[in-house]
Amino acid sequence: MSLIEKYGAEIESILARYPQKRSAVLPLLFIAQDEYGYLTDAAMREVADLLDMPPTDVFEVAGFYSLLYTQPVGRWVLQVCDDVPCAFCGAEDLIATLQEKLGIPVDQTTPDGMFTLQRVKCLADCDHAPVLQANLEYYHDLTTPEKVEAVLAELRQRAESGEKLSISGRYADR
Amino acid sequence: MPNVTLVIDGQTVTVPAGTNIVDAARIAGIAIPVFCYHPKLKPVGMCRMCLVEVWTPKIDPATRQAVIGEDGRPVMTLMMGKLQPGCVTSVSDGMEVRTTTDRVRFAQKGQLEFLLTSHPLDCPVCDKGGECPLQNLTMQFGPSTSRFDYADKIHFEKPIRLGDLIYLDRERCILCSRCVRFQDDIAGDPVLGFDNRGRTWEIISKSDPPFDSKFSGNTTDICPVGALTTADFRFKARVWELRPTPSICPHCPVGCNISLDMRYDRLMRVMPRENDYVNEIWICDKGRFGMRFIESPERLRQPLIRKGDTLTPATWDEAIALIAEKLIAIRTHAGAAALGGLASPDLPNEDLYLFQKLFRQVLRSPNLDFCTGAPGEPAIIDLGATLGVGKGTNLSNLGAGTSVLVVGADPEEEAPLYVLRLRGIAARGGDLTIINPYPTKLDRTPARVIRPRAGAEAFVALALLKTLIEEELIAADFVTRRVQGFDELKMRLRNHSVASLCDAAGAPEDVVRSAAYAFAKADNGIIIYGRVALASGADLIDALADLALLTGHVGRPNNGVIPLIPGANARGALDMGVHPGAGKKRGLTAREMWAAAREGRLRGMIIAGMDPVRDNPAAAEALDALEFLVVQDIFLTETAQHADVVLPTASIAGREGTLTNAERRVQRFRQARIPEFNTPAGWDVAQRIARALIALGVKPTAPDGQGDGRGASRTLAKTAATTASSDQWDYAVAGDVADEIAATVHGYADTTYESLGLTRKPQWGRQPNEAIFYDGTSYENTEGVGVQIAAEADNPKATFTLRARVPPLFATNDAYPYTLLAAPRAYDGRAWSRDSKLLPRMVTPHLILNADDATALGIAPGGLVQIASEVGCAVLPAQIDRNLPRGLALMPDVDGAPLSRVQTGPLTRIAIMAHISETVGTR
Repeated sequence: MSLIEKYGAEIESILARYPQKRSAVLPLLFIAQDEYGYLTDAAMREVADLLDMPPTDVFEVAGFYSLLYTQPVGRWVLQVCDDVPCAFCGAEDLIATLQEKLGIPVDQTTPDGMFTLQRVKCLADCDHAPVLQANLEYYHDLTTPEKVEAVLAELRQRAESGEKLSISGRYADR
Repeated sequence: MPNVTLVIDGQTVTVPAGTNIVDAARIAGIAIPVFCYHPKLKPVGMCRMCLVEVWTPKIDPATRQAVIGEDGRPVMTLMMGKLQPGCVTSVSDGMEVRTTTDRVRFAQKGQLEFLLTSHPLDCPVCDKGGECPLQNLTMQFGPSTSRFDYADKIHFEKPIRLGDLIYLDRERCILCSRCVRFQDDIAGDPVLGFDNRGRTWEIISKSDPPFDSKFSGNTTDICPVGALTTADFRFKARVWELRPTPSICPHCPVGCNISLDMRYDRLMRVMPRENDYVNEIWICDKGRFGMRFIESPERLRQPLIRKGDTLTPATWDEAIALIAEKLIAIRTHAGAAALGGLASPDLPNEDLYLFQKLFRQVLRSPNLDFCTGAPGEPAIIDLGATLGVGKGTNLSNLGAGTSVLVVGADPEEEAPLYVLRLRGIAARGGDLTIINPYPTKLDRTPARVIRPRAGAEAFVALALLKTLIEEELIAADFVTRRVQGFDELKMRLRNHSVASLCDAAGAPEDVVRSAAYAFAKADNGIIIYGRVALASGADLIDALADLALLTGHVGRPNNGVIPLIPGANARGALDMGVHPGAGKKRGLTAREMWAAAREGRLRGMIIAGMDPVRDNPAAAEALDALEFLVVQDIFLTETAQHADVVLPTASIAGREGTLTNAERRVQRFRQARIPEFNTPAGWDVAQRIARALIALGVKPTAPDGQGDGRGASRTLAKTAATTASSDQWDYAVAGDVADEIAATVHGYADTTYESLGLTRKPQWGRQPNEAIFYDGTSYENTEGVGVQIAAEADNPKATFTLRARVPPLFATNDAYPYTLLAAPRAYDGRAWSRDSKLLPRMVTPHLILNADDATALGIAPGGLVQIASEVGCAVLPAQIDRNLPRGLALMPDVDGAPLSRVQTGPLTRIAIMAHISETVGTR
């Protein structure tokens, strides 16, 4: 089922927000990566077609932003800030803990397809460093392995409870 | 624009306001190094190589006056307190620019150190080595060592294909975006972009097929490093081994100036040569990559003579003797009118001139044509000789104040460089109207698009005329002086309104009116018409002529008509008189020749450089009915296989000559190598035949038609008379023929090789120090920009008669409800494409249908369709186009397209049905 068949009304309302169709490229890519799990080649071409854009332009956008995924990711994308303030407050420890608990190195996805771990730059929440972003939701002050364990358990539980997840953060409560 | 005076490195310079600092410095002869800046592209300030100190007078905020120091001179401040990029900083009065201070040198050194952090330094194996700005600027401005760790260089797989033709080496790329900007702004094919960020930033192309542009090769010219290279030239040669030979592209009526870069006698690469009047510094991929046929192993090497069913090798003496003997025999028993000649509109002027001279003066036959006589071939209706763009026209200077009508043409396929020229005019503020029955890539240019029904284009032109009359937009003074029949035209149009004419065309009235207004009010007006306009016929083209006349847009530079007639030298063929109407006695057209041959009235033919059997397999039957057929070509074409004698000729690389382009610019190409297999030029073949005929006692007549000395200046005629007279065929070199053309052909008096070699210097801003101001590897034009010959309208005394009339509507036919048009394609898969890297891009035969029509007919994309007209039917794959108007079907005119099987004329009524292979066989 194509995006326009499945999300026709939502896409129409997004297009109505902009004077030019191509301005809707980001929201449409968010829909596409939620629908297909990540931005497949075909998904980006589909968006280009919907917006009458040259496909190259859509690939450019997808390649530029760290919240658009052109490789397969898990249901939760965990992004840890390793920039200076977070690094001072234990970001490297947080990453090490996550790697250990998930059993994967950075930029990998757990075999059950639940978590992808990534390093990112500043998440603009330095006062709560170190910060973890899970599908655009913030988890603050993750200074001990216990706190990390609790967060992972919560995320896993939410996924298993059948909650609708969005790697694009379309349902992020913020 | 007002001028601005500033000081650069102590030198006072006055330049137009708005000039950037890099250009201002160039005008003063000072070189500021650049990578991303290119004079044909908008500046972006990406590479930071052009950082300079910019000092401006200090302004007192209270008084808004310049602060004067104790020495009585203005106090200067450094702009923004730091260095400024010269390419994006405009000049201002009183500014002082310093380009050689320690601070600037430090920045340049640092910038190069950065650019080289991950550069692979593989110059010894890099195709750009020897003509690379990164090499040159590093030598001049760069540090000799780097503080970056060599082991820390980032590595990529190298190279990767951006498309069939262009390779990308991401390690060499300095991310200047010249290629991206060229594709977006100049070519209008936005197929390149940037992926990722930071150190993994890279160029990508995601079009289908990748790098889908007919201008892709130009990106390798303007790439300031070795990041983009062509599949055609990769690892072929070192650039300093090459011998660039000035040439002219033989593929279309644009006549782009090119260079054949030879190593000894082998063609290594084709490069653009700048000529502002023709191609600026660009060429299309057909010109760049479509020249490998020259070295094809399938080239004809020696004359062939038919012995029974086979063509067997013979000597030139045998072949020429046989030709002379047979032609004389036919002339004796059937008369001169039983002889006919067809010469290709791709042949140079020298060949065409002697070809017609052979026929008119030696054989005394007026049967000459440059058409193939295929059933769908439109009549060639030429406005170039009469109302062509005025002498001195230069499209690259035009912008605001210019209005261009592109009527029934697809420039991208017929004359690709015109896309760039027209986009340039639009980008500089010009007004563009596109009138075509189907969408073309040119529609993407900011333009007014009028989409008439196929065959009803004339009604748009008439609606434009009627608007001019109604809204009194006529150039009254010009019309009074030089135009006749205005009242009669008004009478012919009196019963028609703009609305009714627009209705007949299926075009929106308001858009037509605004087009008429823009065209009439413009300072310069140009009309370009092409293949579809020719298919539409005289009704349209006469109306276009009247449009140019009523608005006074003729007889001046940058005003007039540009006909895109198929062939690289159709203009030359018309001017040299290779058409049946050129002489006093009218000859047979190609189509009439086929009929005459079948009926036995035409007995002998010479066909030069043309393959009519390819376009029209039915012609083979006519050829076989001839007593004697001579074919002169560089390949054993389908037509040649029917010949009694086949004569091989040299390609454009093995001889010299001239071609006349669509704007009537005569341009000379030089000989790039010794003739392949010792083959002679076409003009020499005609000479050998003529000499043999004369030796056997044939008496040539006085000139008739072209070559009769009209319009040539007396002195020139005299000089030429000493070198060549009508019965003396002693041309030693192409220049001898060119002298005779200059002396005798109407309008060509200025076109001796001497005047063709003149160059206006500088054509457009090249840096005095070429190595630094890097605008690409296109060659400077040192061998002449050619000579544009005058159109009749350039003569202020010439008057013209208005001829437009309202034609009947194109008849519909319920049995054949669709209209079939042949669509020109640049990549047509014909002889030129042999051994070319473009082969995967060649268009294969198919039919293009509207999406709704296809649905109604139950045709799926790629499925087979059967089409039928009154004369025949054909089966071919379908392509669905949702933007094509309903009721129209396009068949690309490419190698193997079954056009001649179904066409009844340029426009054909057809029926279309899904093809079911079991029940309906291919006929």
